[in-house]
Amino acid sequence: MKRFPKGMPAAERAILQEQLIDIILVVLKCNPQLHYYQGYHDVAVTLLLVVGERMAIAMLHTLSKYHLRDFMDPTMDSTKHILNYLMPILEQVDTELHDFMIRSEVGTIFALSWLITWYGHVLPEFKHTLRLYDFFLASHPLMPIYLAAAIVLHREKEVKQTECDMAMVHHLLSRIPQDLPYELLIGQSQELFDQYPPSLLAKRAALQSRKSQSISTFKAFQLSTLHQRPDSVLQRLTKAQDSTTSRHASRHSGLEAALPRDRGQLWGKGNRMVKMAVWGLSATLGAAVFAVAQTAMDWGPEVLLQLF
Amino acid sequence: MAKQYDVLFRLLLLGDSGVGKTCLLCRFTDNEFHPSHISTIGVDFKMKTLVIDGIKVRIQIWDTAGQERYQTITKQYYRRAQGIFLVYDITSERSFQHIMKWASDVDEYAPSKVQKILVGNKSDEVDKRQVATEQGVKLAKAYGMDFFETSAFTNHNITETFTRLAEQVLAANKKDLDLLQMSMNDELDLAALEEEEGLCNSAAGDQGKGCWC
Repeated sequence: MKRFPKGMPAAERAILQEQLIDIILVVLKCNPQLHYYQGYHDVAVTLLLVVGERMAIAMLHTLSKYHLRDFMDPTMDSTKHILNYLMPILEQVDTELHDFMIRSEVGTIFALSWLITWYGHVLPEFKHTLRLYDFFLASHPLMPIYLAAAIVLHREKEVKQTECDMAMVHHLLSRIPQDLPYELLIGQSQELFDQYPPSLLAKRAALQSRKSQSISTFKAFQLSTLHQRPDSVLQRLTKAQDSTTSRHASRHSGLEAALPRDRGQLWGKGNRMVKMAVWGLSATLGAAVFAVAQTAMDWGPEVLLQLF
Repeated sequence: MAKQYDVLFRLLLLGDSGVGKTCLLCRFTDNEFHPSHISTIGVDFKMKTLVIDGIKVRIQIWDTAGQERYQTITKQYYRRAQGIFLVYDITSERSFQHIMKWASDVDEYAPSKVQKILVGNKSDEVDKRQVATEQGVKLAKAYGMDFFETSAFTNHNITETFTRLAEQVLAANKKDLDLLQMSMNDELDLAALEEEEGLCNSAAGDQGKGCWC
């Protein structure tokens, strides 16, 4: 697994690998309508490395039912449909670039792994992956597409200078440069999203035929996450941390015996990891709730007023 | 732009997930081998130039995701291929049985003239072998294909396999080669025409690269 940090001892790696499989199996078993796709593990491993097994299951479970839902159909037709949002964004911003890409017949498959792994499969630096995951956790399910558009627009000159050939353009775009200015691109994708929201793009002919579950359930998801305030989440996490520590202290208690493997080694280091995770997660959730509240206010103030 | 090759062919690697398509390709183009499995998502390609009978043949080898659900996506690349590797893993009976399905997909979606070759990879794993060499030979014969057992790990038969398919594609297209070059010139003219008609944007034209699509 290349996604595990370099220099991690083999034993720890093996434990994580086991946990990764468990996480994926638990989520898929709970949701028989969801299907595994190559790349799903990239999402799972990112969550696992930051928040540990228990929380990763919860997060993956929710993401699979909402943001990643379209990718988990038995076929990839819905995924292809989501990719169809990319070209209309480019068309709005840079017609010349858009036409060049259409002429090259490059399609949008170069962005497939970006979309379905939230860039986890392609970014060499784990910290960049984490930054993007924070962004996507706090955003609309289509945001990875807007970021893809921002990346392509950022590389506009390179693209136009390439031979106008499917293979050449695919080759250029599918390789993400090492030194992308992520903060800038995140800002730009948010701007693109505000300027050309999915509803506007969906009016385009090619996008009308199909319904996306991720998009159609997002409003419900936003409303449900409104109730997950950072303070209550923090409380729950602190409790979880406590129980973890006590579990670590009394390793032969019933709780620990119920665990299938010896996770002592992992949790020894885990204390710091859990703290970092709590910090990262609360920051993320805070941002998410803020973003959610803000967009929800834009979209349906009357619903919200009733709620409060 | 001066071309560094005489002719360009597109080859395609097909087969179940985990049979070693990406490893075969990495071994052939970069002489590298990575034992850990990193699944391919979507499609990608690598290039290499071979000299066959004094002709510089540039081959563009497309690597595909093996998982079944990806086929809606990978199938659109079949029609561009002139040669196809059907790859199975000699330690997986299942991957061998699936060759039938891959072959029938090729019949359905690839050009009728496409050249095929059967590849049984991981030949170094003698202890885990589930598919006998004879089975591979027999199946290849039934389909009228050549057959190689390879190992990306030990670099066994890798160059041979890729060169063989390139030779076959070259032979199949030899008669058309002159014709092909003529039609390539036609396409250039066509692009120039389109430019005059303003279909190509001026910036691309100014850069002198144009769109030799």
